[in-house]
Amino acid sequence: MTTLAQANLPAVMHQLTLAHYLFVSAAMFVLGLIGFVTRRNLIIMFLCTELMFQAAGIALVAFSRFHLNHTGEAFVIFVITVAAAEAAMGLALVVLLFRRRESLSAEEWAEMKG
Amino acid sequence: MSIIEKVQYIWPEIAMFIATCVVMVLGLSPSLAIRRLCSPVCGAALVIAGLLAVMGPDTAPAALPHLMPYAKVIVAGVGLLLLLLLAGTVDREEESLIATGRARFNPLRTNRAEFYAFFLFSLTGVMLCASASDLIWLFLALELTSLPTYIMVTVSTRGRSHEAGVKYFFLGALGAATFLYGFAMLYGGTGTTDLSGIRQHFAEHGINSIAMLGLLLSVLGIGFKIAAVPMHFYTPDVYEGAAAPVSAFLAFVPKTAGFLAIMLIASLPGWGYGPVAGADGVIRDGLGAGASLPEALRLTLWVMAALTMTVGNVLALWQNSVKRILAYSSIAHSGYMLVGIIAGPVGERFIDNGLAAVLFYLLAYGVMNVGTFAVLACLEKSGGAALQSGARSTGLETGATTEIETVDDLRGLCRTHPAMGWTMVLCSLSLLGFPPLLGFMGKFPLFTAGIAAGEIPLVIVLGINSAIAAFYYLRLVAAPLLEDPSPASPPATPTPFPARPMAALLSAASVLILVGFAGVLMKQSAKAGETVVSPGHTAGRGASDGVAAWNP
Repeated sequence: MTTLAQANLPAVMHQLTLAHYLFVSAAMFVLGLIGFVTRRNLIIMFLCTELMFQAAGIALVAFSRFHLNHTGEAFVIFVITVAAAEAAMGLALVVLLFRRRESLSAEEWAEMKG
Repeated sequence: MSIIEKVQYIWPEIAMFIATCVVMVLGLSPSLAIRRLCSPVCGAALVIAGLLAVMGPDTAPAALPHLMPYAKVIVAGVGLLLLLLLAGTVDREEESLIATGRARFNPLRTNRAEFYAFFLFSLTGVMLCASASDLIWLFLALELTSLPTYIMVTVSTRGRSHEAGVKYFFLGALGAATFLYGFAMLYGGTGTTDLSGIRQHFAEHGINSIAMLGLLLSVLGIGFKIAAVPMHFYTPDVYEGAAAPVSAFLAFVPKTAGFLAIMLIASLPGWGYGPVAGADGVIRDGLGAGASLPEALRLTLWVMAALTMTVGNVLALWQNSVKRILAYSSIAHSGYMLVGIIAGPVGERFIDNGLAAVLFYLLAYGVMNVGTFAVLACLEKSGGAALQSGARSTGLETGATTEIETVDDLRGLCRTHPAMGWTMVLCSLSLLGFPPLLGFMGKFPLFTAGIAAGEIPLVIVLGINSAIAAFYYLRLVAAPLLEDPSPASPPATPTPFPARPMAALLSAASVLILVGFAGVLMKQSAKAGETVVSPGHTAGRGASDGVAAWNP
């Protein structure tokens, strides 16, 4: 079995540290948050929350490697499962709303105000 | 602790899960008699779960060793009230069509099985929050509490509940992603997801910045579950869009799960922080020297608490819909309870223990909240408000009726429907914290715990807010009690479900009767609020206590 060090990888791969992964993860989380707040299309907003979930997943795997235990990887399996359940539920709800409204815009929420 | 040892703490949840599977099958039966069994089976499951929680192990090796039995019993108890209230929420039209022979039973069109199963799933999630000993477990328990509620909101009425469900789902997913990221950071900062392991790490090595970020993000994300600022936007719209029984459910169940989770998260660093002079002479926060949460976490919770109660109470003043008033009041009550979390377990006595105050208040709030929503669920008026709001006419509606909605609809209720009117009066006074009702018994220890912890400014904010709240609660009291029925609006008629008034009367009676048992309840909640991370423990002692507790 080849380890990461023995694998035929470009040299730059060996210089990746925890910080790089955390940077990617934080960027994904923040982009997801910004997208959720600014975009009005329900599908895009849903994908933004998925982006935030997967950002946490990347952080967990990176930390798992950093701490040399498998807890984070186990956590990620659960995160992916829950994200899948949420996806099924969220898309079903969006389809239901689309059938009533013929629109995917979150502006449709404006009905209840006060 | 091995998985086998953990099972002894979760027998109530296992019983609930078995009942859930049974309900899912029963609700799809073509025979009405069998379909009707859903609700009794749920009730039996809640009673059994409550009994199992009482008979189960009293002490668990956790930061809050006696939390489980108390939390599970109040969840089962208020769950029974909610179950009575939920009667007939779904499938009302379907069932009436089938009963009159105008339609045949179609398992694809019925929601009863899923609705009751999701009800039990959600309550199971809250109980699992109380038993959580690991971040992964806590994450799954919180999600198990929330995911079913999205569907329950959506299917609860034909009118605005779709929008409410979608809105609730999206903001819920945002909250879940936030606290999940917080959990990931907590794991990153400490290298373990085990709650006692994290506590031990904090005691030995202090809190590094990644773990602190994790604590803050977790609290903010869980803020969605308790409807705390800045995650409160959904509350009024969702409560208004959902059917009244489901709104009552939303105001108690996710909130309880959220507060249990915040307690567990706050117990990781513990309430024993204060300024310590380090080896180099620099003064910084350290464990064991003071009696508060770490400063950053305390400040975040402080701002959340102050904003939450102020926003909730001030915005409630401008509302005319009873459900929106109750939604904003639900936000405000979360703010009150956050005071107890900030105060933490200052002393051994009930009135000094903020956590005990929160646990007691959750029960009190659950009971009186069910009472107010039950009045809305018990009365309906003819008229097409639901149709105007865009429900697609299926040609199946049988004399469309809507729940009573505005404060005007409550006018003169004490004369026209005395039981409902007096329930509204009692429960609103109790929510206001009027002595000697249950709400007063609940709010008083929040004040004393806050004072004991030295959070005087926050207690003043709490006092001012209780005064503001009087304005809108007294509207809810005055309308049924003092005013004449409004001639403009159609008269309210009772709904044909005898279980709903029963829920209303039981909550109204509990608001009075539980005051008599307040001593017992306070003793139990004081016990449930005891922690092994109470202030006064030095760093070393706190850590060794934790270890000793985990290896009985």
